Amino acid sequence: MELFFDPRSVVVIGASNTPFNLGHTICNMLKDYLHYQGAVYAVNSKGEAVNGCPGYSSVLDLPEAPDLAIIIVAARHVPGLIEDIARKGIRRVVIESAGFSEGGEIGEAMQREIDTIARQNGIRILGPNCLGALSTRDKFCCFYGVNPSLVEMNQIFESPGNISYIIQSGGVAVLVMESLYYDIVGVNKVVSIGNKCDVDEADLIEYFQKDETEVIGLYLENISNGRRLMEAARKSHKPVLLYKVGKTKEGAMAAMSHTAGMANNDRVFDAACRQTGIIRLQSIDELHSLPKMFTEMPLLKGKRIAAFTNSGAFGGISADLLVQAGLQMVRLAPQTQEKLKKVGQVFNVKNPVDIGPALPQTYLDIFEILLSADEVDGLLPLLSVWQPFVIDCLLELMKMCKQYEKPAAIYTPNAASKSIAIRKKSRIPIFETTEQAVRALAVSQMYWASLLKKNFTGEKTSCSAGMKANHRSTGEAMQ
Amino acid sequence: MTGKKEKEIRDLLVKALQKGQLALSEYESRKVIASAGVPIPREALVQSRDEAMDQAEKIGFPVVLKGSSPELTHKTEMGMVRVNLKNRDDVGGAFDELSGKGIRLEGFLVQEMVEGRREFVIGLTRDPQFGPSVMFGLGGIFTEAMKDVSFRVAPLSEDDAREMIGEIRAAKLLDAFRGEKAVDREILVRALVGIGHLGMKHEEIAEIDINPLIIRDGKPIAVDALVILKAHRA
Repeated sequence: MELFFDPRSVVVIGASNTPFNLGHTICNMLKDYLHYQGAVYAVNSKGEAVNGCPGYSSVLDLPEAPDLAIIIVAARHVPGLIEDIARKGIRRVVIESAGFSEGGEIGEAMQREIDTIARQNGIRILGPNCLGALSTRDKFCCFYGVNPSLVEMNQIFESPGNISYIIQSGGVAVLVMESLYYDIVGVNKVVSIGNKCDVDEADLIEYFQKDETEVIGLYLENISNGRRLMEAARKSHKPVLLYKVGKTKEGAMAAMSHTAGMANNDRVFDAACRQTGIIRLQSIDELHSLPKMFTEMPLLKGKRIAAFTNSGAFGGISADLLVQAGLQMVRLAPQTQEKLKKVGQVFNVKNPVDIGPALPQTYLDIFEILLSADEVDGLLPLLSVWQPFVIDCLLELMKMCKQYEKPAAIYTPNAASKSIAIRKKSRIPIFETTEQAVRALAVSQMYWASLLKKNFTGEKTSCSAGMKANHRSTGEAMQ
Repeated sequence: MTGKKEKEIRDLLVKALQKGQLALSEYESRKVIASAGVPIPREALVQSRDEAMDQAEKIGFPVVLKGSSPELTHKTEMGMVRVNLKNRDDVGGAFDELSGKGIRLEGFLVQEMVEGRREFVIGLTRDPQFGPSVMFGLGGIFTEAMKDVSFRVAPLSEDDAREMIGEIRAAKLLDAFRGEKAVDREILVRALVGIGHLGMKHEEIAEIDINPLIIRDGKPIAVDALVILKAHRA
């Protein structure tokens, strides 16, 4: 699998100097922007060089068998090319061309032909109908049509992160990567799997167990093999967040029994997620908004939440949201309330804890009291940044969370753009809405519960801290 | 399930498939689910009027009399069920009525009459991506109207079964309710796990409906069951 992300040499089949040639954009990206060190060959009908990449008219004429072949030509040429690739001894192929199983019978027949040749020759394939692989640490990307001058794409490679994605749509891949740029976690690897005639989501979940990945995000339009996906998810020691499109009823069509009539794929899929600890996402946005809860905060090990706000209104809203999400507004113990009373400036010492215009020390005292209370499993701070010191308090809160091994899902009731700017500048995991913050607590708890079920908890409690140090040194080594 | 029992079930399924049956008869269906640990009522398959009356006496009145045949998957709609038969004469009369309908039968089923106010459903289906999956939910006439059901992919752990039981919206009905005893959930757990194993072990079974699963004194009993076989390919 590694060769898809970090090949020592590649050939782009279909790269030419024709205007708007998509293969050309891959050569440009590798040479001009990523400064890819290995050899890049171009194969096209004229055998012409492309942006300094030596050109050949056939794969068979290449001076070596590159680690990876990228195919971006009309579908009807692909089966013949795979035969050449097999003969040349190339073992990893990305087929970016469309027009296979998604495009009717002829396409399906071609895809079967490709599968057969690949299997006989031990070739692994990504696609067809995909963008292939991207690895920020290896500074490798074979997506076509990417314009590296767009600021987000530029930055993604500058600061590798620990979130890896398996995505069945190029558009969603770009959306998620761009969005993460405005967040505080970064991309490790992204794979666009297309029709997944060979490499599928289960293979990649397994592969991401062994690298720097901390959170695995998936966007799927169909499941290739439900049982294999379940097996891979069950064995995963990293959170698997999955958004699946479509609620089909193919199972219900020919059903004779009432059971089969009611079992649309979606309900069974939902059950499979529950059984294996897959966190099923409610929206595409959650693919980029939730991972930070796993990388920046300890896991939520119970359901009892204390809300803390400097604006009474948000306390009431959050209570409803917490209950809807299956969490509880904790009833604070008398001794906890006693401690809060002594802090002063507290309007309400019951949950949600509500304060008026207070000094920084008041914030810090309240964080400490709530996090140290036995009855509290996690915090929902809803703190408007009305003074710059609130930001410093939140930074302190992050440290306290690690110390007490309890998470806080922070929301700052300010203009969204202001909150996002603070998040980026001060590196605080701020969620953009109360709903998002509550959901982050809920999924953190769901993941913890799944670890308990799998007996994986021993190793996982200190995950964030340990992985962080590791991640930083990798980041430094890159520079 | 013991090896011997398992072989017995496999033989029954294979024989039914060879005969070109699309489904098992009610009697055979219940035999299959009983092997998986689902409690079933006392019953007997009979061929004659006298036998029906004798067996009814043995089982204890009141009883139910049903026509039994693999082709008969909707007995109530076809008028092939007589309930609440309180004595030998009732049974004899019902036998005459059902046998007079001219429908080809493998026999008649005399069954203990099970009454209860709470009805659930257990099912098995095969999902195109995930394979055999087990369903639990609200049963009887509410099954389709309320669609209050939960699923788990087989094989199920006991925890899976416990979770899915608690997941239906009407889960409160399983607790002590209006003078009725709380349902023995462990029996349900064993039944759900067992049905999942049936799906894993026997490719021949396409779908199963156990509906209604009636709760009597807190104990579930599968009053009706239907085992549908995979499409027969010659």
